[in-house]
Amino acid sequence: MTESDWALIERMSRGDERALAHVYDRFGTLAYSIAYHILNDAGDAEDIVAEVFMQAWTSAASFDPARAKVAGWIAMMTRSRSLDRVRARNRRSRVVTALVESSAQPSQSAPSPEVAAEESDLRARVASCLAELVPEQRQALELAYYGGLSHSEIAEALGQPLGTVKTRIRSAMGKLRESLGAYLLI
Amino acid sequence: MSHPHQAWSELAAGYSLGSLDADERATFEMHLAGCKDCQAEVDSYRDVVGSIGLGAPVVPPPPHLRARILAETKSVRALNPPTQFQRLLPWLVAAAAMTVAIASLLMYASERSRRELAESAGAAAATQLMHARKQVAQQDSMLAAILAPDAESARLVAQGRPPSVRLFLNRRRNMVVLSARDLAPAAAGRTYQLWGIADGQPVSMGTFNTSADGQATVVLPLATDARFTHSAITDEPAGGSPQPTTTPFIAGAWQ
Repeated sequence: MTESDWALIERMSRGDERALAHVYDRFGTLAYSIAYHILNDAGDAEDIVAEVFMQAWTSAASFDPARAKVAGWIAMMTRSRSLDRVRARNRRSRVVTALVESSAQPSQSAPSPEVAAEESDLRARVASCLAELVPEQRQALELAYYGGLSHSEIAEALGQPLGTVKTRIRSAMGKLRESLGAYLLI
Repeated sequence: MSHPHQAWSELAAGYSLGSLDADERATFEMHLAGCKDCQAEVDSYRDVVGSIGLGAPVVPPPPHLRARILAETKSVRALNPPTQFQRLLPWLVAAAAMTVAIASLLMYASERSRRELAESAGAAAATQLMHARKQVAQQDSMLAAILAPDAESARLVAQGRPPSVRLFLNRRRNMVVLSARDLAPAAAGRTYQLWGIADGQPVSMGTFNTSADGQATVVLPLATDARFTHSAITDEPAGGSPQPTTTPFIAGAWQ
């Protein structure tokens, strides 16, 4: 039986460097993928991931498993720092353009229905949920998540009415919550 | 036709995602502080937001990144805060980590209620009067501290219930202004103590008490130039304690 994610964080909080290595092995790719999707730059993504795991290392004692999953914790720190760097480097317009293009394409990471049905992995489940969203809903959601854009900014970037964007994001989030609900309880 | 409150709960998803426009976010946060239903709604989206990133196209990191991280963290000690504080920190740093949803919202851990406040109404009238006199005398310097461009503020807001506390820190003038509302006065022989938290370690920022109406506006000298990431308040014996002896009942992240 493998150790739970939370047990690893707990060991990390006591200064266990091997636990940190295990946490990186489990979530390093997740963090790098998110950072790279936001920043589109290998060097920046690498810096962000290093910062995230440093933050995880120093704040492990304060991680509360009742409030978050470890994957979610890592993801949120990565997203937050990545968006900060976009702002700091004044790359917003470039990032937005790239995201508008990439999010308009069909979801690339969705496994086939047969595979998805068999996978109990949360990652596969998320990919399936996103692929099942109406494309316009997924696009608005991705601009909000990876671009850190507000409703108005998304409306402007896509040339859509504000009300439409708000409804699409609400719908996308509602569907995700419903689809992921049972899986997130684990 | 939608129920009036639905207009609020419909903002919860966007709030969790951090996609509300600035004005909507501000009004929703104010509503959120007093609405348990919306807090539950925001909570229900937390794990959803935490999961969205799992859908990012998988890009493996360069092999050397692992060694870099292990090398960099070797020289950094993992934080080991005092045990009594340990239960508080998840709320504090979890709030900081989840900057999207709840950067300055906190957890109100105690069971204090408005009823306690009403019951203690008779006890502190004299304190209240003295307080009011002091307040008038200090008004100008406090306003100056709050309005000075280098003042930082931390909002310590109870989740859906009283009390609420605001802190204004002015480093240049070495002072902290604390403004509390709906906080029942500490019991006889006890006081409230404000802590600044840097690197997981609590440092006393002074003691104070509220008057019978649950309010306090206090100026505390700032004795240290440590950069606090968070502050918290505990209930201590009169005179205060060198380190917290109880679990903080209210805390917040500095903005």
